[in-house]
Amino acid sequence: MGTFLHRHRGITPYLLLAPGILWLGLFFLWPMYYLGYESLQTGLFPDFHFSWAFSNYWDALSGYHTQLERSFVYAGIATVACFVLAYPLAYWIAFRAGPWRNLFLLFIVAPFFVTYLMRTLAWLNILADQGPVVGFLRDVHLLAPDGRLLATTFAVVSGITYNFFPFMALPLYVSLEQIDEGLLEAAKDLYASPTRAFLRVTLPLSAPGIVAGTLLTFIPAAGDFINAALLGTPNQTMIGNVIQAKFLQSLDYPTAASLSFILMGLILVFLLFYARAVGTEKLTG
Amino acid sequence: MSSVAETVTPGAKPGLVARIWRLVARHALTVYALLAVGYLMLPIAVVILFSFNHPTGRFNYVWNSFTLDNWVHWNAVLGIQGSVVTSLEVAALATVVATVLGTMIALAIVRHRFIGRSATNLLVFLPMSTPEIVMGSSLLTLFLNHGTIQLGFWTIFIAHVMFIVSFVVVTVKARLIGFDRHMEEAAMDLGANELVTFAKVTLPLIAPAMLAAALLGFALSIDDFVITYLNAGATQTFPIFVWGIARVAVPPQVNVVASAIFLVAIAIGLGNVMLQRRKPKGAP
Amino acid sequence: MTERMTRDQLLRRGATGLTLLSVPGLLAACGGGGGGGGEDSASKVNDVLNFSNWGYYIDTKSTLKDAGVQAPTTLQRFTKKTGIKVNYYEDVNSNSEYFAKVQGRLARGRGIGRDIMVSTDNDRFLGEYISNNWVQKLDKSLIPNMKNLIPAQQHPPFDPNRDYSLPWASGMDGIGWNEDVTDPVTSVKQLLEDPKLKGKVGVWNSMGDTLGLVMLENGDDPAKVTKASFDRALSRIQKALDSGQIRGFYGNDYAPPLSHGDLAACMAWSGDIANLGNPKLHWEVPDKGGIIWTDNMVIPLHGSVPTASTYMNFMYDPKIAAQWALGANYISSVTGVKEEAVKLTPDAAKNELTFPADKTLSQMHQNDPAMLKNADYNKRWLAVQGQ
Repeated sequence: MGTFLHRHRGITPYLLLAPGILWLGLFFLWPMYYLGYESLQTGLFPDFHFSWAFSNYWDALSGYHTQLERSFVYAGIATVACFVLAYPLAYWIAFRAGPWRNLFLLFIVAPFFVTYLMRTLAWLNILADQGPVVGFLRDVHLLAPDGRLLATTFAVVSGITYNFFPFMALPLYVSLEQIDEGLLEAAKDLYASPTRAFLRVTLPLSAPGIVAGTLLTFIPAAGDFINAALLGTPNQTMIGNVIQAKFLQSLDYPTAASLSFILMGLILVFLLFYARAVGTEKLTG
Repeated sequence: MSSVAETVTPGAKPGLVARIWRLVARHALTVYALLAVGYLMLPIAVVILFSFNHPTGRFNYVWNSFTLDNWVHWNAVLGIQGSVVTSLEVAALATVVATVLGTMIALAIVRHRFIGRSATNLLVFLPMSTPEIVMGSSLLTLFLNHGTIQLGFWTIFIAHVMFIVSFVVVTVKARLIGFDRHMEEAAMDLGANELVTFAKVTLPLIAPAMLAAALLGFALSIDDFVITYLNAGATQTFPIFVWGIARVAVPPQVNVVASAIFLVAIAIGLGNVMLQRRKPKGAP
Repeated sequence: MTERMTRDQLLRRGATGLTLLSVPGLLAACGGGGGGGGEDSASKVNDVLNFSNWGYYIDTKSTLKDAGVQAPTTLQRFTKKTGIKVNYYEDVNSNSEYFAKVQGRLARGRGIGRDIMVSTDNDRFLGEYISNNWVQKLDKSLIPNMKNLIPAQQHPPFDPNRDYSLPWASGMDGIGWNEDVTDPVTSVKQLLEDPKLKGKVGVWNSMGDTLGLVMLENGDDPAKVTKASFDRALSRIQKALDSGQIRGFYGNDYAPPLSHGDLAACMAWSGDIANLGNPKLHWEVPDKGGIIWTDNMVIPLHGSVPTASTYMNFMYDPKIAAQWALGANYISSVTGVKEEAVKLTPDAAKNELTFPADKTLSQMHQNDPAMLKNADYNKRWLAVQGQ
């Protein structure tokens, strides 16, 4: 087997790709074909007919660009917040946690075991207007006397940040973990201060993790709807909410489908710009 | 920051302030890590707390009185046990499969140059940029158009692998990019072929990354609602069960089950800590 | 050729009997291909009934005990009387999501593995099931107890002859408030305009319920919506939103903020407030009237009409309906149910929410299904919510 692979090295990548790509092709791309077909239909439920209705895309874009913009802004803020909060934790787990590291990785994903609804009900309790947190903030005048934390942009972005925290933390950990501590010792031997060693050695070496974490957080966050639904008001609706409503309530499948492709397209555009900015080798090696 | 006054004489040891500062800096990171975990655990603490609540009505929203009853009769709500078992089974299976498939894709993208490399790289990002409602319903359309497949455990499994793979690929890639290949080259110089090198050198080195990716995948699977709901047929997973009754009740047993899953996971984690402590320093 | 014969034939041939024996079971459970209990079992009464319903919508041993009723549950009594076993699935959590889940199969003319499913008349989906012929006609010859249907429910606009549906449970739309945060709120006008409630008011994200109540406040009839009455109601909500009066549009999730006092008052369902059991929360019919919504039983394609009809007939016996109402705590549409309930437990006479007085019921109105389906109205309603 080893010799066979050695002699036919060219097919190795295709062998590696085949199962996963086949799965994605069958169960993602093929459904996307149906979705694309739907996006070019016109009519009212249940009588849709295919009519190359590219106008659906234009109508969707002009009708809902506010929510699209807002989604990217929220996702962006949440991604930055996740990065700031997660990086030190990931660093600590990678370099200082020792035998505790897997336990702390578990702590990072543990909130997911408790189902989204239960977590959010807990936050609704903790951040309630009459609750301890808001009370404290009002006392120290960080909040107006009738101010609130819930049903605000702050609540929605915080919800997104909290929920996507593992998506930033784990990739950061992955690339920090592999840094050879010998390199840091060498830097110290060369009289670098801890700060300098970090900025010149650790941070650049963790760049693939930063890129991965940023993408794994930003991309799904842009399409999120549940945080805006439970923690926000009509002023915080994201594109995910629009798509959800169009699909479930209006039964307007063509608009829902075209909005989804617009979102996907915009994310791809973002990806291309991002790859160019950080250097494509950080995305593909 | 300490405001201890001190006199510094030339040539003396680093002053008290500097020593305190270094002590703080040394442990600041640990303190931060604990605070960060505290922030993550805050809602879970509330969930666990409320599992001991005896609510006035059907909804566990406001603290009323303490009771151990919910833990004793955790199974009192019909359907809760089956849904948890299904969730765990699907998650375990889907995570294993997705981790394997995703790692293979990551290896291919990072280590080989082939036609369609950038296209594959982009393709991987598409599932995570698609809103769940349309991804779920388009998949359902696929299943319905090819009526031989029954909606249930296996369709949930298929859907979960599909959306987890992307996350695994991106996570494992972060490890593979910048991977120091010297060890592998050394192994091959010593006569090992590609397969042996991979199994004995590469795999152990990327194992932590695969574990992290698997944790992420498991978390995604166990918490998924939208895609699962649309493709589950009559089968219930835990999120489906919870959302299902949420309109009319939030019984404390839901808190109990959620807390139990969490505590079992932490117990496994603690077991792992003890395992790691026994290993000699430097061993993988 | 019925399902039963098919099974016997296979047994006799002893072919891959075991695997194929489970196929009808799989089909029944998962609802591909034949759906229901099998294509042709639709023509006779089966020994199994598959019923999809909302959670907590039926009497159980513990709820009957709480109500002081000593009896086996209505499901158990049904099985005892008819020999039909009921597979009761509590998998309806939202009208729109359930619709999204089943419409693909129904649109393809396939069954969903159920003989009865339930949908509410305050949203468009019940009408869609009926107008698209995705549900089957009841067998009224098997439902003589249909004569016990209360007059108010006999000719609903979405099913004027009651050919396809029968009510399961009703609930009332009204105003709920938290006494810790506010004095009683008794009218929709107060809800939308009282400055003391600013930023602490909730309304539903459901068009029929919210605009229905506002139309009543405006003096319009929610059962006969015109463009003018719709515009009036919508603009009133928009005004309250723009002024900061409304904190948000809620689905089932108004209960946590109301319980915590984040909402002082909101549009609320009668059953919810009762089931929250929180002495600080109160519910009232708005002074200009409320909306009554009804969850209706329908028989999806390939469900067994005879079996389903037999069940419906059983539930329309006033004695059974009374027991159900006491155990489930929702309003029944069967005549004489209150009298029967009082015989089971005298407390029933005081239970205004489950057995509302005629006076209360007379203040209730229903939604206009044409409004619920109207694409333009739906779009404008969603736009107000930022969607």
